Amino acid sequence: MSMRQAMKPAHIARSLGKKRAGGVLILLVFMLFFYGPLLYMLPLAFANKYEYPAIAPTQYGFQWWKYVLDQPNVVEAIVNSFLFAFASTILALIICIPAAYVLARFKFKGRKFIMLLFLIGNAFPKIGMYTSIGIIYYRIGLMGTFLGVLLIHMLGTMMQMIWLPAGAFRSVPRHQEEAARDAGAGPIRTFFHVTLPIAWPGIAVAAMYAFIGSLGESVGTLMVGLPKYRTMMTEMYGVILDFPATAGAVFALIIVIPNIVLLMLMRNYIGGGALAKGFKMS
Amino acid sequence: MVNQKSRWKTTLVIVGMLAPALIVALGIVIYPIINTVIKSFQDEATGAFTLANYTYLFTNKLSRAHIWYTIWVTFLTMILAIVISYLLALYLRFSESKAAKVISSLYLLPRFIPVLVAVYALKMIIGDSGLINRLSLLLPEGSPLYDFKPGLLYNAKGIIIANLWFNIPFATMIISAALSGISSSIVESARDVGAGKLRIFFKMILPLSISDVMIAATFVFMSNVSSFTTPYLIGANHPMMLGVYLRKQFSSRNYELAAAVSVLIFLFSSISAIVYIYTNLKEKEWEKD
Repeated sequence: MSMRQAMKPAHIARSLGKKRAGGVLILLVFMLFFYGPLLYMLPLAFANKYEYPAIAPTQYGFQWWKYVLDQPNVVEAIVNSFLFAFASTILALIICIPAAYVLARFKFKGRKFIMLLFLIGNAFPKIGMYTSIGIIYYRIGLMGTFLGVLLIHMLGTMMQMIWLPAGAFRSVPRHQEEAARDAGAGPIRTFFHVTLPIAWPGIAVAAMYAFIGSLGESVGTLMVGLPKYRTMMTEMYGVILDFPATAGAVFALIIVIPNIVLLMLMRNYIGGGALAKGFKMS
Repeated sequence: MVNQKSRWKTTLVIVGMLAPALIVALGIVIYPIINTVIKSFQDEATGAFTLANYTYLFTNKLSRAHIWYTIWVTFLTMILAIVISYLLALYLRFSESKAAKVISSLYLLPRFIPVLVAVYALKMIIGDSGLINRLSLLLPEGSPLYDFKPGLLYNAKGIIIANLWFNIPFATMIISAALSGISSSIVESARDVGAGKLRIFFKMILPLSISDVMIAATFVFMSNVSSFTTPYLIGANHPMMLGVYLRKQFSSRNYELAAAVSVLIFLFSSISAIVYIYTNLKEKEWEKD
């Protein structure tokens, strides 16, 4: 305790102490609930022996890493996961960014209706969506195809890819664009030199959520991709249900690493502000 | 003449830029939804119009149990998640303690953890042979908590705990953004004129952040009412969440009944979406004044 604090009247010092204890308590509960389970996976992933009722592994090593990576489908699943994540994010960017720009910048009849159209996909239960898409896929022969899985991955990300960048475009001051146009820049030049540099953090965040969403997509791929297209996530179902717990920890760690790396790269741009702004309809 | 021409050009640009996204959305969102709605009114054998799928849902004892179960689990999750997130967001916004700073920099992570991984990790802690149980075995034999089995998996408690794990960070993020828009100086000047904490909250902070709280609540509600993975992995077989029931009907090839369940979940989601749209529009009117 500093000198200044010590000289304060006793009741203030006591209430400060109480406040501090409260803060520590909140932090403790927060850490235990949110980080406890994640951190506990780390030792388990490097355990050779983790037997009931030991709290921590009794023997460490890479035995289960070898076991997991030796599974015939795992490497293929990892490659597929990234393939679908890159492909669906890029495709979503190409398709959604122009739409987001139009929805943010032009006032026209039916604009709100179209915004809602993209929201509806989120209100309808995903699992119901997959089943009805599955029925249609059977009919038109998209079942178990690359394009079929790709579209399923886009289903989960399209709304964010429209709404978040729309919010970002809306926050670009209109007069800056107009000034560029007045100076003789064409609309495309203005977009790439004025609009995009200001709006890109919002777009990058949306792309990152799309990428992570695609990496995490499990049920849809399970329903329309198997048996031809396995991803890390579809394998994880089997791992959780059938494998020993330590193999699950290894697999979980492999899955989480790319997400943590992305979070680190983007942490300055992530926040509720962009998200909340994107979700406003006006 | 020139004006008309440029207006045409603008329309063309709008249509051209919207078309790809709209076509994809029509193909993978709208068409499947319409297809499902139609199917939910069809007879399994003949394809004729019928209400039988819905009457079955609302009269069959099992499926009624699933519906009620889904409603109360979703509402309870939503209320708990929003109350806790609001308190946490208030704490993060108005406390200057180190603890608040640490939490602010850490609370976003769960959004980056895939559902399956998080459910697995939670299972290793709260499962009946998980860490909590193993820790309790360290207690002296015979003490009341020795060999304590949390009993949280395969019932509603486990689902709610897992859902809170996902939803609290998300809701806190949205509400925090709203709270950061409230300037400290207004709050301080209110305090200077002698307004109590509760009064400041109800008269200033709540009205200024309510629309974002509603947004957060809507998304929490939507994601829980239709959830599948969490209840599938750590929920019970009876009663089950509608998402799991839907998948079960689909795998047993009861496509029409599965469609009716989809539509039912959709209606539940829509109710929350209406609340969301209403608050959004209302706010806009407020801005007009």
